[in-house]
Amino acid sequence: MNQAAKVQEAKGPLVWLDMDQKALDDAYDQMVYAPNRDQVHKRNMFNSDRVRARLGAPKRLAYGSKPVEQLDLFPTSNPNAPINVFIHGGAWRTRSVKDYAFLAEVIVRAGGHWVGLDFDGVEGTKGDLLPMADQVRRGVAWVYKNAKSFGGDPNRIYVSGQSSGAHLAGCIVTTDWKDYGVPADIVKGALLCSGMYELKPVRLSKRSEYVAFTDEAEEKLSSQRRLDRLNCPVIVAYGTYETPEFQRQNREFAAAVKAAGKPVTLLVAEGYNHFEIAEAIGNPLSLLGAAVLEQMKLV
Amino acid sequence: MNVHPGSTSRAKGPLVFLDMDQQALDDAYDQEIWAPNRGLIVERRKAASERARAILGQPKRVAYGPGEHEGLDIFSCGIKGAPVNVFVHGGAWRRNVAADYALQAEGLVRAGAHCVIIDFINVDQANGDLFPMYEQVRRALAWVCRNAKSFGGDPGRIYISAHSSGSHLAGVVLTRGWREEGLPPDAFKGAVLLSGMYDLAPVALSARSSYVKFTDDMAHKLSGQRFLDGLHTPLVLAYGTCETPEFQRQSRDFADAVRAAGKPASLIVGAGYNHFELLETLANPYGLTGRAMLEQMQLVK
Repeated sequence: MNQAAKVQEAKGPLVWLDMDQKALDDAYDQMVYAPNRDQVHKRNMFNSDRVRARLGAPKRLAYGSKPVEQLDLFPTSNPNAPINVFIHGGAWRTRSVKDYAFLAEVIVRAGGHWVGLDFDGVEGTKGDLLPMADQVRRGVAWVYKNAKSFGGDPNRIYVSGQSSGAHLAGCIVTTDWKDYGVPADIVKGALLCSGMYELKPVRLSKRSEYVAFTDEAEEKLSSQRRLDRLNCPVIVAYGTYETPEFQRQNREFAAAVKAAGKPVTLLVAEGYNHFEIAEAIGNPLSLLGAAVLEQMKLV
Repeated sequence: MNVHPGSTSRAKGPLVFLDMDQQALDDAYDQEIWAPNRGLIVERRKAASERARAILGQPKRVAYGPGEHEGLDIFSCGIKGAPVNVFVHGGAWRRNVAADYALQAEGLVRAGAHCVIIDFINVDQANGDLFPMYEQVRRALAWVCRNAKSFGGDPGRIYISAHSSGSHLAGVVLTRGWREEGLPPDAFKGAVLLSGMYDLAPVALSARSSYVKFTDDMAHKLSGQRFLDGLHTPLVLAYGTCETPEFQRQSRDFADAVRAAGKPASLIVGAGYNHFELLETLANPYGLTGRAMLEQMQLVK
Protein backbone atom coordinates (compact mmCIF):
# COMPACT_ATOMS: atom_id res chain seq x y z
CA MET A 1 0.00 0.00 0.00
CA ASN A 2 2.61 2.51 1.00
CA GLN A 3 4.09 2.79 -2.41
CA ALA A 4 5.87 6.03 -1.59
CA ALA A 5 7.97 4.25 0.98
CA LYS A 6 9.22 1.86 -1.65
CA VAL A 7 10.35 4.52 -4.09
CA GLN A 8 14.12 4.66 -4.07
CA GLU A 9 15.30 8.02 -5.24
CA ALA A 10 18.13 10.38 -4.54
CA LYS A 11 16.94 12.74 -1.83
CA GLY A 12 16.84 16.42 -2.75
CA PRO A 13 17.25 19.40 -0.44
CA LEU A 14 15.03 19.24 2.62
CA VAL A 15 11.87 21.32 2.31
CA TRP A 16 10.00 20.43 5.49
CA LEU A 17 11.25 18.38 8.44
CA ASP A 18 13.12 15.42 6.94
CA MET A 19 11.32 15.64 3.61
CA ASP A 20 12.55 16.80 0.23
CA GLN A 21 10.07 18.30 -2.25
CA LYS A 22 9.01 14.93 -3.67
CA ALA A 23 8.45 13.40 -0.24
CA LEU A 24 6.43 16.42 0.91
CA ASP A 25 4.37 16.45 -2.28
CA ASP A 26 3.64 12.75 -1.82
CA ALA A 27 2.74 13.32 1.83
CA TYR A 28 -0.02 15.71 0.72
CA ASP A 29 -1.16 13.49 -2.17
CA GLN A 30 -3.62 10.89 -0.89
CA MET A 31 -3.50 8.86 -4.09
CA VAL A 32 0.10 7.92 -3.35
CA TYR A 33 -0.89 6.31 -0.04
CA ALA A 34 -4.54 5.44 -0.66
CA PRO A 35 -4.90 4.45 -4.30
CA ASN A 36 -8.40 3.05 -3.70
CA ARG A 37 -9.91 6.53 -3.42
CA ASP A 38 -12.33 6.11 -6.30
CA GLN A 39 -13.49 2.71 -5.11
CA VAL A 40 -14.23 4.05 -1.62
CA HIS A 41 -16.02 7.04 -3.12
CA LYS A 42 -18.19 4.65 -5.13
CA ARG A 43 -19.18 2.93 -1.87
CA ASN A 44 -19.88 6.28 -0.24
CA MET A 45 -22.29 7.20 -3.03
CA PHE A 46 -23.89 3.74 -2.94
CA ASN A 47 -24.34 3.84 0.83
CA SER A 48 -25.62 7.43 0.70
CA ASP A 49 -28.36 6.27 -1.66
CA ARG A 50 -29.22 3.49 0.79
CA VAL A 51 -29.45 5.95 3.66
CA ARG A 52 -31.76 8.23 1.66
CA ALA A 53 -33.89 5.22 0.76
CA ARG A 54 -34.27 4.35 4.44
CA LEU A 55 -34.47 7.78 6.07
CA GLY A 56 -36.14 9.62 3.19
CA ALA A 57 -34.72 12.56 1.28
CA PRO A 58 -33.13 15.20 3.50
CA LYS A 59 -34.59 18.68 3.91
CA ARG A 60 -32.66 21.06 1.70
CA LEU A 61 -32.22 24.44 3.38
CA ALA A 62 -30.28 27.58 2.46
CA TYR A 63 -27.87 29.02 5.02
CA GLY A 64 -26.64 31.83 2.77
CA SER A 65 -27.42 33.67 -0.43
CA LYS A 66 -25.04 31.93 -2.83
CA PRO A 67 -26.61 28.93 -4.58
CA VAL A 68 -24.02 26.58 -3.06
CA GLU A 69 -24.75 27.77 0.49
CA GLN A 70 -27.26 25.08 1.32
CA LEU A 71 -27.37 22.14 3.66
CA ASP A 72 -28.90 18.68 3.89
CA LEU A 73 -30.82 18.05 7.10
CA PHE A 74 -31.66 14.51 8.15
CA PRO A 75 -33.93 15.09 11.12
CA THR A 76 -34.44 12.78 14.06
CA SER A 77 -37.84 12.33 15.65
CA ASN A 78 -36.42 13.09 19.07
CA PRO A 79 -37.59 16.61 20.13
CA ASN A 80 -35.05 19.31 21.06
CA ALA A 81 -32.31 16.96 19.90
CA PRO A 82 -28.58 17.56 19.59
CA ILE A 83 -27.20 18.36 16.15
CA ASN A 84 -24.13 17.10 14.33
CA VAL A 85 -22.89 19.42 11.57
CA PHE A 86 -20.66 17.59 9.10
CA ILE A 87 -17.99 19.29 7.00
CA HIS A 88 -16.89 17.15 4.07
CA GLY A 89 -13.39 16.76 2.72
CA GLY A 90 -11.99 16.44 -0.79
CA ALA A 91 -8.65 18.28 -0.65
CA TRP A 92 -10.71 21.54 -0.60
CA ARG A 93 -12.02 20.78 -4.07
CA THR A 94 -15.71 20.98 -4.93
CA ARG A 95 -17.69 18.04 -3.57
CA SER A 96 -21.39 17.52 -2.91
CA VAL A 97 -22.54 16.72 0.61
CA LYS A 98 -25.11 14.44 -1.05
CA ASP A 99 -22.31 11.86 -1.27
CA TYR A 100 -21.79 11.90 2.51
CA ALA A 101 -25.33 11.03 3.56
CA PHE A 102 -23.95 7.60 4.49
CA LEU A 103 -22.78 9.24 7.72
CA ALA A 104 -26.27 10.46 8.70
CA GLU A 105 -28.00 7.28 9.82
CA VAL A 106 -25.80 6.56 12.82
CA ILE A 107 -26.59 10.02 14.26
CA VAL A 108 -30.28 10.08 13.34
CA ARG A 109 -31.02 6.61 14.78
CA ALA A 110 -29.20 7.52 17.98
CA GLY A 111 -31.46 10.55 18.41
CA GLY A 112 -29.53 13.43 16.84
CA HIS A 113 -30.09 15.60 13.78
CA TRP A 114 -27.48 15.33 11.04
CA VAL A 115 -26.66 18.40 9.01
CA GLY A 116 -24.28 18.27 6.07
CA LEU A 117 -23.07 21.55 4.65
CA ASP A 118 -22.46 22.29 1.01
CA PHE A 119 -19.90 24.99 0.39
CA ASP A 120 -17.55 26.20 -2.31
CA GLY A 121 -14.47 24.29 -3.35
CA VAL A 122 -11.32 26.13 -4.31
CA GLU A 123 -12.59 26.05 -7.91
CA GLY A 124 -15.27 28.53 -6.86
CA THR A 125 -13.03 30.85 -4.83
CA LYS A 126 -10.05 31.28 -7.15
CA GLY A 127 -8.13 29.00 -4.84
CA ASP A 128 -8.78 31.07 -1.72
CA LEU A 129 -9.53 29.13 1.46
CA LEU A 130 -10.71 32.16 3.47
CA PRO A 131 -14.19 32.38 1.89
CA MET A 132 -14.63 28.61 2.42
CA ALA A 133 -13.87 28.94 6.13
CA ASP A 134 -16.31 31.84 6.30
CA GLN A 135 -19.00 29.77 4.58
CA VAL A 136 -18.80 26.84 6.97
CA ARG A 137 -18.73 29.21 9.95
CA ARG A 138 -21.85 30.93 8.63
CA GLY A 139 -23.39 27.50 8.16
CA VAL A 140 -22.84 26.62 11.80
CA ALA A 141 -24.15 30.04 12.93
CA TRP A 142 -27.25 29.47 10.77
CA VAL A 143 -27.82 26.12 12.44
CA TYR A 144 -27.61 27.81 15.85
CA LYS A 145 -30.08 30.53 14.89
CA ASN A 146 -32.51 28.14 13.20
CA ALA A 147 -32.16 24.97 15.28
CA LYS A 148 -35.51 25.34 16.98
CA SER A 149 -37.28 25.53 13.59
CA PHE A 150 -36.42 21.87 12.96
CA GLY A 151 -36.56 20.53 16.50
CA GLY A 152 -32.86 20.98 17.22
CA ASP A 153 -31.29 22.13 20.46
CA PRO A 154 -29.12 25.20 19.69
CA ASN A 155 -27.19 24.52 22.86
CA ARG A 156 -26.06 21.07 21.72
CA ILE A 157 -24.34 21.68 18.39
CA TYR A 158 -21.46 19.37 17.54
CA VAL A 159 -19.20 19.53 14.50
CA SER A 160 -17.46 16.75 12.63
CA GLY A 161 -15.12 16.98 9.68
CA GLN A 162 -12.83 14.75 7.68
CA SER A 163 -9.68 15.56 5.71
CA SER A 164 -9.88 19.14 4.39
CA GLY A 165 -13.28 19.18 6.12
CA ALA A 166 -11.44 18.58 9.39
CA HIS A 167 -9.17 21.48 8.50
CA LEU A 168 -12.27 23.66 8.09
CA ALA A 169 -13.86 22.17 11.22
CA GLY A 170 -10.63 23.07 13.05
CA CYS A 171 -11.21 26.65 11.85
CA ILE A 172 -14.82 26.46 13.08
CA VAL A 173 -13.82 25.51 16.62
CA THR A 174 -11.24 28.33 16.73
CA THR A 175 -13.58 31.05 15.43
CA ASP A 176 -14.06 34.46 16.98
CA TRP A 177 -17.85 34.10 17.00
CA LYS A 178 -18.42 37.79 17.81
CA ASP A 179 -18.14 38.38 14.07
CA TYR A 180 -21.11 36.03 13.52
CA GLY A 181 -23.46 37.25 16.23
CA VAL A 182 -23.59 33.96 18.11
CA PRO A 183 -22.24 32.91 21.52
CA ALA A 184 -18.57 32.02 21.89
CA ASP A 185 -19.46 28.53 23.09
CA ILE A 186 -21.74 27.72 20.15
CA VAL A 187 -19.94 24.42 19.44
CA LYS A 188 -20.05 21.86 22.24
CA GLY A 189 -17.69 19.28 20.79
CA ALA A 190 -15.97 18.24 17.58
CA LEU A 191 -14.54 15.28 15.72
CA LEU A 192 -11.54 16.28 13.64
CA CYS A 193 -10.69 13.26 11.51
CA SER A 194 -7.56 13.20 9.33
CA GLY A 195 -7.30 16.97 9.12
CA MET A 196 -4.66 19.67 8.70
CA TYR A 197 -4.20 22.28 11.38
CA GLU A 198 -0.94 23.95 10.37
CA LEU A 199 -0.91 25.10 6.75
CA LYS A 200 2.76 25.92 6.34
CA PRO A 201 3.87 22.48 5.10
CA VAL A 202 0.75 22.23 2.94
CA ARG A 203 1.66 25.54 1.35
CA LEU A 204 5.16 24.23 0.64
CA SER A 205 3.71 21.17 -1.10
CA LYS A 206 2.35 20.91 -4.61
CA ARG A 207 -1.11 21.68 -3.22
CA SER A 208 -0.07 25.30 -3.76
CA GLU A 209 -0.57 24.61 -7.47
CA TYR A 210 -4.33 24.78 -6.98
CA VAL A 211 -4.71 26.47 -3.59
CA ALA A 212 -3.78 30.18 -3.61
CA PHE A 213 -2.12 30.21 -0.20
CA THR A 214 -1.31 33.66 1.19
CA ASP A 215 0.39 34.71 4.41
CA GLU A 216 -3.04 35.84 5.64
CA ALA A 217 -4.75 32.52 4.86
CA GLU A 218 -1.88 30.54 6.38
CA GLU A 219 -1.98 32.59 9.56
CA LYS A 220 -5.75 32.83 9.97
CA LEU A 221 -6.60 29.28 8.94
CA SER A 222 -3.91 27.36 10.81
CA SER A 223 -6.12 26.42 13.73
CA GLN A 224 -3.14 25.16 15.70
CA ARG A 225 -2.05 28.81 15.98
CA ARG A 226 -5.50 29.81 17.32
CA LEU A 227 -5.89 27.42 20.20
CA ASP A 228 -6.61 30.29 22.60
CA ARG A 229 -10.08 30.38 21.05
CA LEU A 230 -10.73 26.65 21.36
CA ASN A 231 -13.41 26.10 23.99
CA CYS A 232 -14.92 22.67 23.36
CA PRO A 233 -13.62 19.11 23.72
CA VAL A 234 -12.14 17.73 20.51
CA ILE A 235 -11.66 14.20 19.28
CA VAL A 236 -8.74 14.02 16.85
CA ALA A 237 -8.35 10.89 14.74
CA TYR A 238 -6.14 9.44 12.04
CA GLY A 239 -5.47 6.07 10.42
CA THR A 240 -2.17 4.21 10.58
CA TYR A 241 -2.07 3.95 6.77
CA GLU A 242 -2.40 7.68 6.16
CA THR A 243 0.46 9.72 4.74
CA PRO A 244 3.26 10.63 7.16
CA GLU A 245 2.13 14.26 7.18
CA PHE A 246 -1.53 13.48 7.80
CA GLN A 247 -0.51 11.29 10.71
CA ARG A 248 1.83 13.96 12.06
CA GLN A 249 -0.65 16.83 11.63
CA ASN A 250 -3.22 15.06 13.76
CA ARG A 251 -0.77 13.81 16.37
CA GLU A 252 0.77 17.25 16.76
CA PHE A 253 -2.55 19.06 16.88
CA ALA A 254 -3.76 16.75 19.63
CA ALA A 255 -0.50 17.28 21.52
CA ALA A 256 -0.79 21.06 21.14
CA VAL A 257 -4.37 21.08 22.44
CA LYS A 258 -3.29 18.96 25.37
CA ALA A 259 -0.32 21.25 26.05
CA ALA A 260 -2.75 24.17 26.06
CA GLY A 261 -4.55 22.40 28.90
CA LYS A 262 -7.70 21.76 26.89
CA PRO A 263 -9.66 18.51 26.58
CA VAL A 264 -8.66 16.31 23.66
CA THR A 265 -8.90 12.63 22.76
CA LEU A 266 -6.57 11.19 20.12
CA LEU A 267 -7.85 8.11 18.32
CA VAL A 268 -5.45 6.08 16.21
CA ALA A 269 -7.39 3.81 13.87
CA GLU A 270 -5.28 0.75 13.09
CA GLY A 271 -5.27 -0.41 9.49
CA TYR A 272 -7.18 2.52 8.00
CA ASN A 273 -6.12 4.76 5.16
CA HIS A 274 -7.33 8.32 4.59
CA PHE A 275 -10.53 7.40 2.78
CA GLU A 276 -11.48 4.22 4.59
CA ILE A 277 -11.38 5.96 7.96
CA ALA A 278 -14.36 8.13 6.97
CA GLU A 279 -16.47 4.98 6.67
CA ALA A 280 -15.75 4.17 10.31
CA ILE A 281 -17.50 7.39 11.39
CA GLY A 282 -20.71 5.84 10.09
CA ASN A 283 -20.43 2.74 12.26
CA PRO A 284 -21.69 3.21 15.85
CA LEU A 285 -19.54 0.27 16.96
CA SER A 286 -16.26 1.56 15.55
CA LEU A 287 -13.64 3.47 17.49
CA LEU A 288 -14.67 6.72 15.78
CA GLY A 289 -18.44 6.26 15.55
CA ALA A 290 -18.68 5.28 19.21
CA ALA A 291 -16.57 8.29 20.25
CA VAL A 292 -18.85 10.72 18.39
CA LEU A 293 -21.99 9.26 19.96
CA GLU A 294 -20.37 9.37 23.37
CA GLN A 295 -19.33 13.00 22.87
CA MET A 296 -22.91 13.88 21.90
CA LYS A 297 -24.17 11.87 24.89
CA LEU A 298 -26.26 9.71 22.56
CA VAL A 299 -25.05 6.36 23.90
CA MET B 1 -6.62 -1.15 -6.09
CA ASN B 2 -8.24 -3.47 -8.52
CA VAL B 3 -5.29 -4.29 -10.69
CA HIS B 4 -7.18 -6.69 -12.85
CA PRO B 5 -4.89 -9.34 -14.23
CA GLY B 6 -6.94 -9.31 -17.42
CA SER B 7 -5.89 -5.76 -18.10
CA THR B 8 -2.36 -6.76 -18.92
CA SER B 9 -2.05 -8.26 -22.36
CA ARG B 10 -0.95 -11.86 -22.54
CA ALA B 11 -1.68 -14.71 -24.89
CA LYS B 12 -4.79 -16.56 -23.78
CA GLY B 13 -4.37 -20.28 -23.24
CA PRO B 14 -6.93 -23.05 -23.74
CA LEU B 15 -10.22 -22.46 -21.93
CA VAL B 16 -10.49 -24.31 -18.63
CA PHE B 17 -13.81 -23.06 -17.25
CA LEU B 18 -16.38 -20.83 -18.97
CA ASP B 19 -14.38 -18.19 -20.84
CA MET B 20 -11.31 -18.52 -18.60
CA ASP B 21 -7.94 -20.05 -19.32
CA GLN B 22 -5.90 -21.55 -16.48
CA GLN B 23 -4.30 -18.26 -15.48
CA ALA B 24 -7.63 -16.39 -15.45
CA LEU B 25 -9.30 -19.13 -13.40
CA ASP B 26 -6.40 -19.28 -10.95
CA ASP B 27 -6.61 -15.51 -10.54
CA ALA B 28 -10.38 -15.67 -10.07
CA TYR B 29 -9.86 -17.87 -7.01
CA ASP B 30 -6.97 -15.81 -5.64
CA GLN B 31 -8.25 -12.92 -3.53
CA GLU B 32 -4.82 -11.29 -3.27
CA ILE B 33 -4.98 -10.38 -6.94
CA TRP B 34 -8.35 -8.65 -6.70
CA ALA B 35 -8.16 -7.41 -3.11
CA PRO B 36 -4.53 -6.50 -2.42
CA ASN B 37 -5.48 -4.57 0.74
CA ARG B 38 -6.29 -7.74 2.69
CA GLY B 39 -3.48 -7.04 5.17
CA LEU B 40 -4.94 -3.68 6.21
CA ILE B 41 -8.38 -5.12 6.65
CA VAL B 42 -7.07 -7.95 8.81
CA GLU B 43 -5.35 -5.36 11.01
CA ARG B 44 -8.61 -3.48 11.35
CA ARG B 45 -10.54 -6.65 12.11
CA LYS B 46 -8.13 -7.72 14.84
CA ALA B 47 -8.13 -4.24 16.43
CA ALA B 48 -11.95 -4.12 16.33
CA SER B 49 -12.16 -7.61 17.84
CA GLU B 50 -9.94 -6.59 20.76
CA ARG B 51 -12.14 -3.54 21.19
CA ALA B 52 -15.27 -5.71 21.18
CA ARG B 53 -13.84 -7.99 23.88
CA ALA B 54 -12.87 -4.97 25.97
CA ILE B 55 -16.48 -3.78 25.76
CA LEU B 56 -18.33 -7.11 25.98
CA GLY B 57 -15.92 -9.07 28.14
CA GLN B 58 -14.42 -12.44 27.28
CA PRO B 59 -16.78 -14.87 25.58
CA LYS B 60 -17.76 -18.17 27.12
CA ARG B 61 -15.61 -20.87 25.50
CA VAL B 62 -17.29 -24.22 24.95
CA ALA B 63 -16.09 -27.45 23.32
CA TYR B 64 -18.55 -28.86 20.78
CA GLY B 65 -16.39 -31.90 20.08
CA PRO B 66 -13.28 -33.72 21.26
CA GLY B 67 -10.82 -32.31 18.70
CA GLU B 68 -8.41 -29.52 19.58
CA HIS B 69 -10.07 -27.11 17.14
CA GLU B 70 -13.62 -27.95 18.13
CA GLY B 71 -14.48 -24.98 20.28
CA LEU B 72 -16.80 -22.02 20.03
CA ASP B 73 -17.10 -18.58 21.59
CA ILE B 74 -20.43 -17.46 23.00
CA PHE B 75 -21.10 -13.77 23.48
CA SER B 76 -24.30 -13.58 25.50
CA CYS B 77 -26.73 -10.67 25.31
CA GLY B 78 -27.93 -11.58 28.77
CA ILE B 79 -31.51 -12.13 27.60
CA LYS B 80 -33.15 -15.50 28.16
CA GLY B 81 -34.85 -16.89 25.07
CA ALA B 82 -33.06 -14.48 22.73
CA PRO B 83 -32.30 -15.37 19.12
CA VAL B 84 -28.86 -16.70 18.23
CA ASN B 85 -26.54 -15.93 15.33
CA VAL B 86 -23.69 -18.31 14.55
CA PHE B 87 -20.80 -16.91 12.51
CA VAL B 88 -18.67 -19.15 10.29
CA HIS B 89 -15.42 -17.45 9.30
CA GLY B 90 -13.65 -17.64 5.97
CA GLY B 91 -10.01 -17.66 4.94
CA ALA B 92 -9.75 -19.76 1.79
CA TRP B 93 -10.30 -22.80 4.09
CA ARG B 94 -6.78 -22.33 5.48
CA ARG B 95 -6.71 -19.25 7.69
CA ASN B 96 -8.25 -17.51 10.69
CA VAL B 97 -9.61 -18.23 14.16
CA ALA B 98 -12.84 -17.28 15.93
CA ALA B 99 -11.08 -14.90 18.32
CA ASP B 100 -10.25 -12.53 15.49
CA TYR B 101 -13.94 -12.18 14.59
CA ALA B 102 -15.21 -11.03 17.99
CA LEU B 103 -16.18 -7.78 16.28
CA GLN B 104 -19.19 -9.64 14.84
CA ALA B 105 -20.64 -9.93 18.33
CA GLU B 106 -21.20 -6.37 19.49
CA GLY B 107 -23.91 -5.39 17.00
CA LEU B 108 -25.82 -8.60 17.67
CA VAL B 109 -25.52 -8.37 21.44
CA ARG B 110 -26.67 -4.74 21.42
CA ALA B 111 -29.62 -5.68 19.22
CA GLY B 112 -30.65 -8.39 21.69
CA ALA B 113 -29.18 -11.57 20.26
CA HIS B 114 -26.54 -14.03 21.36
CA CYS B 115 -23.56 -14.38 19.06
CA VAL B 116 -21.67 -17.64 18.62
CA ILE B 117 -18.40 -17.70 16.69
CA ILE B 118 -17.07 -21.14 15.84
CA ASP B 119 -13.58 -22.52 15.47
CA PHE B 120 -12.85 -25.52 13.30
CA ILE B 121 -9.88 -27.28 11.73
CA ASN B 122 -8.39 -25.78 8.58
CA VAL B 123 -7.58 -27.58 5.37
CA ASP B 124 -3.82 -27.56 5.94
CA GLN B 125 -4.27 -29.17 9.36
CA ALA B 126 -6.60 -31.69 7.68
CA ASN B 127 -4.01 -32.63 5.04
CA GLY B 128 -5.90 -31.02 2.20
CA ASP B 129 -9.24 -32.67 3.00
CA LEU B 130 -12.31 -30.42 3.25
CA PHE B 131 -14.51 -33.12 4.79
CA PRO B 132 -13.13 -32.76 8.36
CA MET B 133 -13.75 -29.00 8.15
CA TYR B 134 -17.26 -29.47 6.88
CA GLU B 135 -18.00 -32.09 9.53
CA GLN B 136 -16.74 -29.85 12.32
CA VAL B 137 -18.75 -26.87 11.11
CA ARG B 138 -21.79 -29.13 10.83
CA ARG B 139 -21.30 -30.44 14.36
CA ALA B 140 -20.72 -26.95 15.74
CA LEU B 141 -23.95 -25.70 14.18
CA ALA B 142 -25.81 -28.77 15.45
CA TRP B 143 -24.36 -28.22 18.92
CA VAL B 144 -25.83 -24.72 18.95
CA CYS B 145 -29.25 -26.07 17.93
CA ARG B 146 -29.19 -28.72 20.65
CA ASN B 147 -27.67 -26.57 23.38
CA ALA B 148 -29.14 -23.14 22.70
CA LYS B 149 -31.15 -23.19 25.89
CA SER B 150 -28.02 -23.81 27.95
CA PHE B 151 -26.83 -20.27 27.22
CA GLY B 152 -30.20 -18.54 27.05
CA GLY B 153 -30.75 -18.97 23.31
CA ASP B 154 -34.06 -19.68 21.63
CA PRO B 155 -33.65 -22.98 19.73
CA GLY B 156 -36.44 -21.85 17.43
CA ARG B 157 -34.55 -18.72 16.34
CA ILE B 158 -31.09 -19.80 15.25
CA TYR B 159 -29.52 -17.91 12.36
CA ILE B 160 -26.23 -18.20 10.50
CA SER B 161 -23.87 -15.61 9.08
CA ALA B 162 -20.76 -16.54 7.14
CA HIS B 163 -18.06 -15.25 4.84
CA SER B 164 -16.10 -16.68 1.93
CA SER B 165 -15.08 -20.30 2.53
CA GLY B 166 -17.23 -20.12 5.68
CA SER B 167 -20.22 -19.41 3.44
CA HIS B 168 -19.26 -22.43 1.38
CA LEU B 169 -19.26 -24.68 4.45
CA ALA B 170 -22.46 -23.16 5.89
CA GLY B 171 -24.13 -23.60 2.50
CA VAL B 172 -23.48 -27.33 2.60
CA VAL B 173 -24.84 -27.64 6.15
CA LEU B 174 -27.99 -25.76 5.13
CA THR B 175 -28.63 -28.00 2.13
CA ARG B 176 -27.67 -31.44 3.38
CA GLY B 177 -25.80 -31.23 6.68
CA TRP B 178 -28.88 -30.78 8.88
CA ARG B 179 -30.15 -34.17 7.73
CA GLU B 180 -26.83 -35.86 8.52
CA GLU B 181 -27.09 -34.44 12.04
CA GLY B 182 -30.71 -35.50 12.44
CA LEU B 183 -31.83 -31.90 12.84
CA PRO B 184 -35.25 -30.68 11.67
CA PRO B 185 -35.21 -29.28 8.11
CA ASP B 186 -35.87 -25.76 9.37
CA ALA B 187 -33.34 -25.87 12.20
CA PHE B 188 -31.91 -22.59 10.91
CA LYS B 189 -34.40 -19.79 10.43
CA GLY B 190 -32.22 -17.70 8.16
CA ALA B 191 -28.70 -17.25 6.86
CA VAL B 192 -26.66 -14.36 5.49
CA LEU B 193 -23.93 -15.79 3.29
CA LEU B 194 -21.31 -13.36 2.04
CA SER B 195 -19.02 -14.02 -0.92
CA GLY B 196 -19.22 -17.79 -0.83
CA MET B 197 -18.68 -20.73 -3.16
CA TYR B 198 -21.57 -23.07 -3.82
CA ASP B 199 -20.26 -25.27 -6.61
CA LEU B 200 -16.75 -26.64 -6.24
CA ALA B 201 -16.17 -27.82 -9.84
CA PRO B 202 -14.40 -24.64 -10.98
CA VAL B 203 -12.55 -24.32 -7.67
CA ALA B 204 -11.16 -27.83 -8.13
CA LEU B 205 -9.84 -26.78 -11.54
CA SER B 206 -8.07 -23.75 -10.08
CA ALA B 207 -4.75 -23.31 -8.29
CA ARG B 208 -6.57 -23.95 -5.03
CA SER B 209 -6.09 -27.63 -5.87
CA SER B 210 -2.45 -27.11 -4.91
CA TYR B 211 -3.51 -27.17 -1.26
CA VAL B 212 -6.98 -28.74 -1.35
CA LYS B 213 -6.97 -32.40 -2.41
CA PHE B 214 -10.18 -32.24 -4.38
CA THR B 215 -11.85 -35.51 -5.36
CA ASP B 216 -14.97 -36.01 -7.46
CA ASP B 217 -16.77 -37.16 -4.31
CA MET B 218 -15.73 -34.03 -2.42
CA ALA B 219 -16.59 -31.67 -5.26
CA HIS B 220 -20.02 -33.26 -5.45
CA LYS B 221 -20.96 -33.68 -1.80
CA LEU B 222 -19.60 -30.30 -0.77
CA SER B 223 -21.33 -28.29 -3.48
CA GLY B 224 -24.37 -26.83 -1.75
CA GLN B 225 -25.89 -25.82 -5.06
CA ARG B 226 -26.32 -29.49 -6.01
CA PHE B 227 -28.57 -30.26 -3.02
CA LEU B 228 -31.14 -27.49 -3.16
CA ASP B 229 -34.00 -29.90 -2.50
CA GLY B 230 -32.71 -30.00 1.08
CA LEU B 231 -32.70 -26.23 1.58
CA HIS B 232 -35.37 -25.00 3.99
CA THR B 233 -33.69 -21.81 5.21
CA PRO B 234 -34.33 -18.36 3.71
CA LEU B 235 -31.06 -16.98 2.36
CA VAL B 236 -29.57 -13.55 2.00
CA LEU B 237 -26.62 -13.78 -0.40
CA ALA B 238 -24.17 -10.95 -0.96
CA TYR B 239 -21.13 -10.09 -3.03
CA GLY B 240 -19.18 -6.97 -3.91
CA THR B 241 -18.66 -5.52 -7.37
CA CYS B 242 -14.89 -5.47 -6.82
CA GLU B 243 -14.69 -9.20 -6.09
CA THR B 244 -13.15 -11.67 -8.51
CA PRO B 245 -15.32 -12.65 -11.49
CA GLU B 246 -15.83 -16.13 -10.04
CA PHE B 247 -16.81 -14.95 -6.57
CA GLN B 248 -19.37 -12.65 -8.16
CA ARG B 249 -20.68 -15.42 -10.41
CA GLN B 250 -20.87 -18.04 -7.64
CA SER B 251 -23.24 -15.91 -5.51
CA ARG B 252 -25.29 -14.81 -8.53
CA ASP B 253 -25.67 -18.34 -9.86
CA PHE B 254 -26.51 -19.73 -6.43
CA ALA B 255 -29.19 -17.06 -5.92
CA ASP B 256 -30.66 -17.87 -9.34
CA ALA B 257 -30.62 -21.61 -8.62
CA VAL B 258 -32.28 -21.20 -5.20
CA ARG B 259 -35.01 -19.03 -6.70
CA ALA B 260 -35.46 -21.40 -9.63
CA ALA B 261 -36.06 -24.10 -7.01
CA GLY B 262 -38.88 -21.91 -5.68
CA LYS B 263 -37.09 -21.05 -2.46
CA PRO B 264 -36.47 -17.63 -0.91
CA ALA B 265 -33.15 -15.93 -1.57
CA SER B 266 -32.33 -12.26 -1.79
CA LEU B 267 -29.16 -11.06 -3.44
CA ILE B 268 -27.29 -7.99 -2.24
CA VAL B 269 -24.71 -6.46 -4.57
CA GLY B 270 -22.34 -4.09 -2.80
CA ALA B 271 -21.06 -1.36 -5.14
CA GLY B 272 -17.36 -0.69 -4.65
CA TYR B 273 -16.69 -3.53 -2.20
CA ASN B 274 -14.02 -6.17 -2.58
CA HIS B 275 -14.02 -9.60 -0.94
CA PHE B 276 -12.73 -8.42 2.45
CA GLU B 277 -14.31 -4.99 2.57
CA LEU B 278 -17.78 -6.48 2.17
CA LEU B 279 -17.40 -8.40 5.43
CA GLU B 280 -16.76 -5.14 7.29
CA THR B 281 -20.35 -4.14 6.56
CA LEU B 282 -21.60 -7.13 8.58
CA ALA B 283 -20.25 -5.71 11.85
CA ASN B 284 -22.07 -2.39 11.33
CA PRO B 285 -25.79 -2.25 12.23
CA TYR B 286 -26.24 0.29 9.42
CA GLY B 287 -23.85 -1.47 7.06
CA LEU B 288 -25.00 -3.19 3.90
CA THR B 289 -25.00 -6.77 5.17
CA GLY B 290 -25.20 -6.01 8.90
CA ARG B 291 -28.53 -4.32 8.37
CA ALA B 292 -29.76 -7.24 6.26
CA MET B 293 -28.77 -9.69 9.00
CA LEU B 294 -30.60 -7.74 11.73
CA GLU B 295 -33.65 -7.41 9.48
CA GLN B 296 -33.66 -11.13 8.77
CA MET B 297 -33.48 -11.80 12.52
CA GLN B 298 -36.31 -9.29 13.03
CA LEU B 299 -34.14 -7.24 15.34
CA VAL B 300 -34.68 -3.90 13.59
CA LYS B 301 -37.16 -1.70 15.41
